Amino acid sequence: MSTLSTRLRTRLRERGGIDVQTVVTLAVLIAMIVVFSQLNDRFLTVDNFKNVLVQTAPVMLVGCAVTLVMIARGLDLSVGSVAAVAAVFAAAFTARHGWSLVAAGIGALAIGGLFGLVNGLLIVRLQVNPIIATLGTMNVARGAAYLISSSAIIVGLPAGWGDLGTSSVGPVPTPVAIALVAIVVFQLVLNRTAFGRHVYAIGGNEETARLSGVNVGRALVILYVLAGLTAGLAGLMMASRFGSGDPNAYVGFEFDVIVAVILGGTSLAGGEGRVAGTVLGALIVGFLSNSLNLIGVDPFWQYVAKGTVLIFAVVLDRFVRSGTAGAQLRLPRLGRRTAGAAA
Amino acid sequence: MSESRVAEPPPRAQHAERPPAAPPLLRVRGVGKRFPGVVALDAVDFELTAGEVHCLLGENGAGKSTLVKILAGAQRADEGEIELNGEAVSFASPQEAQRHGLAFIFQELSVVPSLSVADNIALGNERVRGGLLQRREAHAEARALMESIGFPGIDPGRPVRTLSIAEQQGVMIARALRLDSRVIVMDEATSALTGEEVARLFALIRRLKQGGRAIVFVSHRLQELAEIGDRVTVFKDGRHVATVPASTPPQELVRLMVGREVQGFPDGGRRRSGEVVLRARGLRTARLDGVDLDVRAGEVLGVAGLVGSGRTELLRALFGADRLDGGSVELDGRALRLRRPGDAIDAGLALVPEDRRGQGIVALRSVGENLLTIWETHRRLRPRGERPRVLAQRLREQLAIKTPSLEQRISLLSGGNQQKVVIGKWLAVGPRVLLLDEPTKGIDVGAKMELFRLVDRLARAGMAVVMVSSELPEVLGMADRICVMKDGRIAREFEPGVSEEEIVAVALSEEEEAK
Repeated sequence: MSTLSTRLRTRLRERGGIDVQTVVTLAVLIAMIVVFSQLNDRFLTVDNFKNVLVQTAPVMLVGCAVTLVMIARGLDLSVGSVAAVAAVFAAAFTARHGWSLVAAGIGALAIGGLFGLVNGLLIVRLQVNPIIATLGTMNVARGAAYLISSSAIIVGLPAGWGDLGTSSVGPVPTPVAIALVAIVVFQLVLNRTAFGRHVYAIGGNEETARLSGVNVGRALVILYVLAGLTAGLAGLMMASRFGSGDPNAYVGFEFDVIVAVILGGTSLAGGEGRVAGTVLGALIVGFLSNSLNLIGVDPFWQYVAKGTVLIFAVVLDRFVRSGTAGAQLRLPRLGRRTAGAAA
Repeated sequence: MSESRVAEPPPRAQHAERPPAAPPLLRVRGVGKRFPGVVALDAVDFELTAGEVHCLLGENGAGKSTLVKILAGAQRADEGEIELNGEAVSFASPQEAQRHGLAFIFQELSVVPSLSVADNIALGNERVRGGLLQRREAHAEARALMESIGFPGIDPGRPVRTLSIAEQQGVMIARALRLDSRVIVMDEATSALTGEEVARLFALIRRLKQGGRAIVFVSHRLQELAEIGDRVTVFKDGRHVATVPASTPPQELVRLMVGREVQGFPDGGRRRSGEVVLRARGLRTARLDGVDLDVRAGEVLGVAGLVGSGRTELLRALFGADRLDGGSVELDGRALRLRRPGDAIDAGLALVPEDRRGQGIVALRSVGENLLTIWETHRRLRPRGERPRVLAQRLREQLAIKTPSLEQRISLLSGGNQQKVVIGKWLAVGPRVLLLDEPTKGIDVGAKMELFRLVDRLARAGMAVVMVSSELPEVLGMADRICVMKDGRIAREFEPGVSEEEIVAVALSEEEEAK
């Protein structure tokens, strides 16, 4: 009786059905690839795709953690600076103090985790607004990166420094492999563990989550620590690939991450979002930059393009949500219905 | 309901404690809670026996909610003891209260709308094996629980926000049953339900009661207490006033609650309505399906109907708050162009919205500023010669707004006084038509009648009033004509002599088809 299709349907229903948003994002991605492959014949090559994936891997990695943060109605603007300080820390301590690569790497992750912990405690214990808290640590981390490196690009790194960013696991570049592992792990945590349910519950209705016995504060701190840890790892990955520790690097990285998360359908109001969506969002951002490069568009136009994409995505999201979610509500609350009435 | 009720002392006796046949499940002794400048609870005693429905009654700010919050572990008592099954307990956190078998169904904030039914039921106590959620078991369990409490056929994977309010309450009750809670506290559980849904909830409460659970039932609706309750504990000003049988006559309960007799609906004989002031023809919006309406000067037009029937939307359409897809609105025979609420205000319309805190007042600003919001923004409507301060002071006196000063932050006022300010801000510009959407929501009994007197005065002075209310007695008590809405239309118009049953019958007609 239990044919494959009915089982599939049951499973889909248990998972809350097919997400319209994910389908739309996927369609956009495919459409983009089709269009770009027409614009430039170097676009649709294995090498170029590999290149895009390697470039996008840090965004995906950090995007996974930030997706959870944003589902829980938080935000982390500090990830770019934290990646920079972690990378500079590892480079400085290997090049100047002779630390082993492993020790420097662990130190870099610890720095990332520490910044995440500070973010989490500021937000949970001292009730600082997440935007302000992470805007503050964003600047603290950037300053620390300049101080550690004496504002110079750190070079003269030992052999093996480049392994993390340039080696391969079988046919898969290591950064991509790391991102894949992170995707699987975060997906599992979000969808198959109690912690994941709590993340959704906190974003959906924090007070209810609290009254239901969820330790909201602890969960939020864990989320920011995860964001910091992944940022540290992303910093290492990029520093390894470029062969240097650059305190100027990763400026605007947090923007790419947030664009990826929002393109992926995570609600700014919290409570909704998917890791898979963020991965698609990261790919959209990655392919967009890549093809603009290939076509030879002035790099400064890329800022304009990404900024426009972000705003467009949020506007689109509002229309999609007010269209579908609004129709399902038996009695829409007045204040929130304005967009639906206009649509 | 229970034969023990027969043996109760006569209803008029105060402190009519039932001789405890069984030791109380929950005993609260001398619990007090102070906030800066306010004694929220003053050495309160309260007892709850297994298998009883114990109602809490009191005006807003009387202490009911504070007691409930202390029991829920959301606030800590400054003094006093709580005993559960004879053992002293203290609830430092919601988790602890939950672990001790207390469950809470609040009016709001009780579900996570974006999570599924199954996830909401299990939230905080998820079924986990090897670190992973057992989704299939959780769904089966959720389905069984929902079925057992009379909500069959609800897909456990559905996000809770797609459920009706009654179903969402079902989810909360299912959650309490899953935790095997002995005490279930329902705070204003019926305020958003239709009559039919209330009946279903009561049937469920009776079953829970028979299963030996104790229910604490907080409600403002006196008729409900007699129907579902066993005992009623009345609070006033943070004190325990009396615990009486639920069969105590409503007037007596009100007297205990308010500490004085409450006057009934204003009765100055029939109002004399004049010319048609507001005329709407074929109004269409996303939620209105062709509404014709005439409102005369000096009358109160009551609008009844189920939640979602289009009552609020009708007011919003008349006020230019929702876009009109069709139809026309005339004021004194002149067609209005309603592109935004400002157009309606300029024409002489006023809206007192249902969501007072979100749409009626500016919570963080003073009483005086709130009274002048419309006056400030609509220069053309300003009456001549009165200085703003004097105007605000006059309104305060005219409406008898109880506030220490005009500088007081409005959110610190009682609901009734806030509502007076909302009406006052309109009176500052002298509107022709007053649109009231659930004007008594969250307002105590005493303040309600005061509000009705005010509305009656305004109507007698020639204002045209449209009043939407879910409380049929209010509509029947106040209105000169009653329109019943259904599915975005006016299904029927009644004279005031109509019975509640007739109105409900119209509001519910073809309910199956609508489903």
